Amino acid sequence: MDPSIRKIAFTLNGQKVSAQVESHINLVDLLRRFNLDGARESCGQGLCGCCTVLVDGVAVSGCLTLAQLVDGKSLTTVEGLDASGALSVVQQAFIDEGAFQCGFCTPGFVLMTHQLLETNADPDEHEIRDYLAGNLCRCAAYPEIIRAVKTAGDRMRAIST
Amino acid sequence: MRNFDIVHPSSWAEALGLLSGGDEGTRAFSGGTALMLMMKSGFYAPTRLIHLGALEARCSFIEATADGGLLIGAAATLSSVEASPVVQRSAPVIAQAMKKLANVRVRNVARVGGALAHGDPHMDLPPILAALGGEVLLCGPDGERTCPVESFYTGYLETRLSQGELITGVRLPPQAGWRSAYVKCTTRAADDWPTVGVAVSLRVVSGAIADARIMVGAATERLTRLTSAEAALRLGAPDAATFARAADAAAQEAVTVDSASGSAGYKTELLRVYVRRTLAEALLNGAVQ
Ligand SMILES: Cc1cc2nc3c(=O)[nH]c(=O)nc-3n(C[C@H](O)[C@H](O)[C@H](O)COP(=O)(O)OP(=O)(O)OC[C@H]3O[C@@H](n4cnc5c(N)ncnc54)[C@H](O)[C@@H]3O)c2cc1C
Ligand code: FES
Ligand code: FES
Repeated sequence: MDPSIRKIAFTLNGQKVSAQVESHINLVDLLRRFNLDGARESCGQGLCGCCTVLVDGVAVSGCLTLAQLVDGKSLTTVEGLDASGALSVVQQAFIDEGAFQCGFCTPGFVLMTHQLLETNADPDEHEIRDYLAGNLCRCAAYPEIIRAVKTAGDRMRAIST
Repeated sequence: MRNFDIVHPSSWAEALGLLSGGDEGTRAFSGGTALMLMMKSGFYAPTRLIHLGALEARCSFIEATADGGLLIGAAATLSSVEASPVVQRSAPVIAQAMKKLANVRVRNVARVGGALAHGDPHMDLPPILAALGGEVLLCGPDGERTCPVESFYTGYLETRLSQGELITGVRLPPQAGWRSAYVKCTTRAADDWPTVGVAVSLRVVSGAIADARIMVGAATERLTRLTSAEAALRLGAPDAATFARAADAAAQEAVTVDSASGSAGYKTELLRVYVRRTLAEALLNGAVQ
């Protein structure tokens, strides 16, 4: 068999799955094969965050991740956030604050916001801007996005106390 | 992208063995953030990537050395460096600079080894580590050696890494008494690559500058130490007049280059301003304890 093709096994939004992948395939391409299109390639260069995926709980750019290297790892995509049927606190906050227009960038912003709030429960505006500097919104919903992050943080803290 | 093989060595010796063929298509792959861009743009077409992931557990350490210095393994991610209490205490300038290096996702996967080996003069870490007096730790077919970060870069994407050699980490001397800062100027967007990056480290003894290191990145073809600017500081009072003299010397000395982010002349003027600002910031930052 062609040594550049490998079978990999990983956990995808809680489900154990496997796939035969060519070495040049990236993580966004891999997710397409599982009919997941929340992570989408836009800049393809690590700049915009539209392709954000959590790998073992850490946010990465799917466009810069070789699919074969997620062998044995656990992936969470935006589709995994409401797998229980209910939207996550962050997703609800984005809706309530109107933090998107076309929604193309939203999965990335939502996943990055989950990461931020995990390490910093009450970020100030400066910290939010720094953290999300690698996510671009062509519709420029930035003021609403920052409000949504604050609202999500407030609600999460209210739940945990 | 064309297909290639990905191999996963489980030791440095095995990785070195795999690299020993001297074939251009075989390369070490750590976080892959720089390589993926080169592969996607067609600038580099590998035949075999040596993925260093299995070495991570042993090589992502960040620790204080017995003499008060710092040792960082090649596989430490930039995020782990940013979050490290040891780095925050003994070389806070590094932790600070990380916050404005690329973005969270890149820092989560990019490794110190890759950041040192890549050799793009726009990168933030090399000037900082050089100003702190850092040494690159290397291992290769002929054993281990070290190379000062300040002389590691020989040209655009060119380093002193020999054929078949790997970076295992970086070592910093004790920083106690030194004041350091790194300031970069991005001319298009705040999170863009720098147009000029200036790193300084200085030691003030009895009201005079006893020692100084000034490094410039981005504006020059490769990382450059500004020795005449350093000489202009030595034994001067750490004040605006001395800093302005050093800034003029820096502008005189540095060979800046034209690029899409500005002309050489423009970068020289930026450098004059940024050397002054970085020195002032280092003074404000206070000395490492
Ligand atoms: C969107 C984006 C924005 C960026 N912005 C910035 C910025 O503002 N400032 C900045 O400084 N950088 C920036 N970068 C660059 C980033 O810092 C580098 O891509 C990263 O540090 C490279 O590390 P890596 O582990 O991903 O290297 P890789 O891509 O894995 O490797 C890079 C090079 O190093 C070699 N290599 C890797 N590890 C070793 C080793 N242990 N020994 C020998 N050779 C090795 C590889 O063979 C390759 O040639 C940006 C990158 C992206 C994608
Ligand atoms: S598509 Fe990956 S960061 Fe833009
Ligand atoms: S909502 Fe359209 S790109 Fe952000």
